Order: sequence, then C-alpha cells, then structure tokens
Amino acid sequence: MRLKTILATGIAALALAAGIGAAQARISIWDGVYTDAQAERGHTLYMQSCSRCHGADLSGTFEIPPLVGRFMPYWSGSTLDALFDYVSTAMPLDHPGALGPSANADIVAFILKSNEIPPGSKELSADRAKTINFDSARQTAKRERKQQP
Amino acid sequence: MSDNGLSDTKPVLQNGLGRMDRRHLLKNSLALGGLVGMATTAARTTAAQTITTQGGRVPLMDRPFNLAPIRAHVDRIYDIKCCIRPFRTKGPRLDVEQIGDATVVHNYGHSGAGWSLSWGSADMQVQKAMSRAPKKIAVIGCGIIGITSAIMAQRAGAQVTIYTREVFHRTRSVRANGSWTPASHMALASEASANLGDIWERMTRMSWKNLRQFVGMAGNPVAFADHYYLSDTPFDAPTPAPPPSPVPIPQYYELGDRIGDITPTRQVLTQDLHPFPVKYAVRTTRMFFNFSEYGHVLMSSFYAAGGKLVMRDFHSPGELAHLPEKVIINCPGYAAHDWWKDTAMMPHRGQTEWLIPQPEVNYGLTYRNIEALSKSDGVMVIDTGIPGALPKGYGSSNEVPDRAEAERAVRVMEDLYSRFPANPV
Repeated sequence: MRLKTILATGIAALALAAGIGAAQARISIWDGVYTDAQAERGHTLYMQSCSRCHGADLSGTFEIPPLVGRFMPYWSGSTLDALFDYVSTAMPLDHPGALGPSANADIVAFILKSNEIPPGSKELSADRAKTINFDSARQTAKRERKQQP
Repeated sequence: MSDNGLSDTKPVLQNGLGRMDRRHLLKNSLALGGLVGMATTAARTTAAQTITTQGGRVPLMDRPFNLAPIRAHVDRIYDIKCCIRPFRTKGPRLDVEQIGDATVVHNYGHSGAGWSLSWGSADMQVQKAMSRAPKKIAVIGCGIIGITSAIMAQRAGAQVTIYTREVFHRTRSVRANGSWTPASHMALASEASANLGDIWERMTRMSWKNLRQFVGMAGNPVAFADHYYLSDTPFDAPTPAPPPSPVPIPQYYELGDRIGDITPTRQVLTQDLHPFPVKYAVRTTRMFFNFSEYGHVLMSSFYAAGGKLVMRDFHSPGELAHLPEKVIINCPGYAAHDWWKDTAMMPHRGQTEWLIPQPEVNYGLTYRNIEALSKSDGVMVIDTGIPGALPKGYGSSNEVPDRAEAERAVRVMEDLYSRFPANPV
C-alpha cells in the first residue's frame, strides 16, 4: 500500500515537473519577453558594435546577413537561447565574444523589437532565453499554445 | 649577366628557377586563394631547364604577343569583395559523424583551395555518403564545396536537396580569388594528420580531371591565362625584414613534390622579351574560374538533374537529425566555426577589388605584392601581403570591405602601367 502511494506520488511529481517544463517551453517571443527600456539600451549598443556590418537599419549588405526580413524564418523553430548563444559567441564577427551577457541580452531585445515583436514588462536574460520559443509569427505561437493539452 | 644567370642582352627564354627564386616568388604569390599559381609548383624541385633558343631567337610559340594594358585607375573599381577563408588548422574535415539517426559526412575547411579541390573532395565524401545506399541526400551549404558535392551525389544516383542560407553567388566562395590554388594553406604543420599529403594529392588530381569538362565551354567557366611575375630587382635579391608579427607566424604543412606533372613550368623572360616596364619577369600559365559562368553552369546542372534548393539556416548540429534526409553532406565553410563549434577553424580574411571588365586583357600579373587577373566579370586585384610577414588577414574575421586597401592596390598597378612607353607596345 505504502509502495503504491510512493509510486503514485512520484508519478504525480513527474507529471507536474513535465507540465511545468511544457508550460515554460510554451512561452513565445511574442509574449513580451523584453522591455522597451532594454531594447533602447540595446539600440545604443547595436549602433556601437553591430551597425558597422549589419547597418543602422539592420538590413545588412550583399555580404553581411540582414537582421530583419528573412531573419525571422531563419531563426524560427529554435528557442531564443540559440540566437543568444550565437550573438554571445560569434559576434561581433571581428571580436567574437567581446560583449558581456547583459549587453548581448539588450542587443537581442533590440533585434526582437526591430522585427516588430512586442515588448513586455520583464527584461530578457540568458536564463530566460532557454524557455522562450522563437516562433516566426504570432499566429504560430497562438496555434501551438492551443494545441498544447 | 643578370642574377638569374641569364643574358641581359640576348633574347633567352629559360624554364625553371633556382631555389631562392622559387621561394621569393612563392612569398610574392600569397593571394586570396592562397598561394596563387606558383603555389601549385611550390614543392617542385626539378632542376632548371633551358628552352631551346635557335640562333639567339626565342621560338615564336613562346613569345608574349599583344598584351593589352590594364586600365588601372581607382575610379574603375566597381566592386570590393571580402570573405573569410575556411582555414582549418588540422586540415579539411572529412570524417563521418552520427547525429541522432542521421549520418553526417563532413566536407569543409579547405582554406584557400576550395575552388581547386572541390571536385576531388566531393568525390571522396560522396563515396562515403553513398556507402549508406541512400536514395536521398541533403547537402548543407551552397558554396563551391556544397554545389559540387550535390552534383557529384546526383551523378551517383541520389536525389539531392541543398539547404543553404545563401544562394551560390552570395556565398563566401564567390568572394574569393577564384584561381587554381590547390596548395593554399591546407593546415598547420603541427596539427595536420600524417596522411594529409596523400589525401590532398588525391583530391587535387580528381579535381583536375573533373575540371576538364568545363574548359572550352561557352563563356569559359574554367579557363587558363598566362601570369607574369614582375620585379624591379632580381627575384633572388634579399628582401627587407618583414615587420614584427604580434603572433607567431604560422608554419604550414608542406605538401611535397606531388603534382609537378600537371603543373605548367615557369619561364624566365629577359627584358627585351616582354612589354612590361620592369627588369625582371617570369611567366607561367594558370587555371582560373569565371564565377558567373561557372556558377551558372553548376546551378543549371544541379536543377536539370532534379535538385532542390531550400533556403534555411541551422543553429545547432542537432537540427540535422530532423531533416527528412538521413545522409547529409555538411559543407558549411567557415560557418562551421560557430555552428559546429569547430575550434580548429581559423578565420583568414581576404579582400579582392574588381576593375571594370576588359575582355581584351587575357593575362594576369603580380608586381610589388599586388596581383591582377583579368576575368570575365572584371579585372581582379588583390594585395597579397608582405613576404615573410604574418599572412595578410590571418586571424581576422572582419568582412567589411576596406576601400583604402583597394585603392592602394590599384595604385600600384596604375604606377606600373603609367611607366609603359607612350606608344602602344
């Protein structure tokens, strides 16, 4: 009897943990994952460290990829930490990894805002990025949430 | 007598150079593709061989005819291209890796030799891929390594889909020099595998054979041109000490004397034999690639065989396991540095400047560490760097074009051609 209780409790705990995990994974970039103030800081940092290659309007050049437009489908399907990691380790291209986690989070926030992804009330951080889906469109995010049990 | 041991007054044509000459020329021939032209003969150690002169006259077949001047002016620069060579300190990555249920055959890290080695490398890696007997194959990347791998896989009978974030003409490959430079910086001597030389030779010879199919096609996708190495001082004269390097100068893997039989020899031209306003000249013949025509031929061939191209970017190796194709040839070029976290990938910046095309110019030249080559889409000019110094752009991943560098390079050519006689040569 006692063994059954322990098993049942364990299964319930696992189910709860899985549920929490799923709930965390259901957060989308469209759910307000950065703040306006953060994006503003990111804009300043972007102009200092990124605009030389990607351009002030993020449109890139013939050689340098844009950070708007095709940027959305190219990054969709992953979680936001993939973008965060890339920015943190590969950028700026001529000084990879030169910026700290806070600065990179601000820059990612600015890139999200530049792609018309709405701000929210909580700032983006490296830890939060792991739980945020990079959905290509708001509709996709809603549809996927509806399909969740 | 000149320092090359040739008469200064008597028209003489001679094949081959002394050891010092070769070393000097090699250092002067570092270019975007790596060791351009001369690199193919880098390890040749055959003794000098004099071409027969008859009665003091140079055979008609060996005389340079009607060389049109390059109109080298900075206002004729119509494009500046910048790229990062996929230099891998351990040499090209050609192993096979399992990602989930997907077999990934790597094919990247060919440094400045991608255009040259592409077919041979594709041949080797497609054989590995086909050993799994797949009906469908995915190729990641659409640079010169990716597209040749895709075509080779089609020829082996597979249905091929290329996944790429850039179409061919926007890849880093098409921002390269585009010359036959198979020996360009294949690896660091301290990190290369013992059999790299054998693998390299096989790739080189297989590529050479495959490239034959494109020679003579309409538009000349793959062509040959004479190349002149010019100098105001003897090639074996001591050069000034290079500036101090902030990092150790890389010692590259020596490939040895392997492809001399398919490499044109060099000819020393005395001053009365060539039209250039310099005292010393050496001529060889080099293969090169016309990007527009060659790219068009390759992509047309790929589509004609039913190939599909999907625009897509990847951010972690694990994403490959979700592709419908379970055999994947991975050709990301320098992107492997960040995507695959391949720490052996060392950035090596290169820049070329392009003058308005001059179809009447059918040769290339190197003078004061600046190289020019007339191609169908423009006259390519490149600063090859100071001999003996840290290779230009080594360790740099800056891909922003440098206009000042471009103008400096073109002005060297402008100076050379401004010294020609007033009347046409």
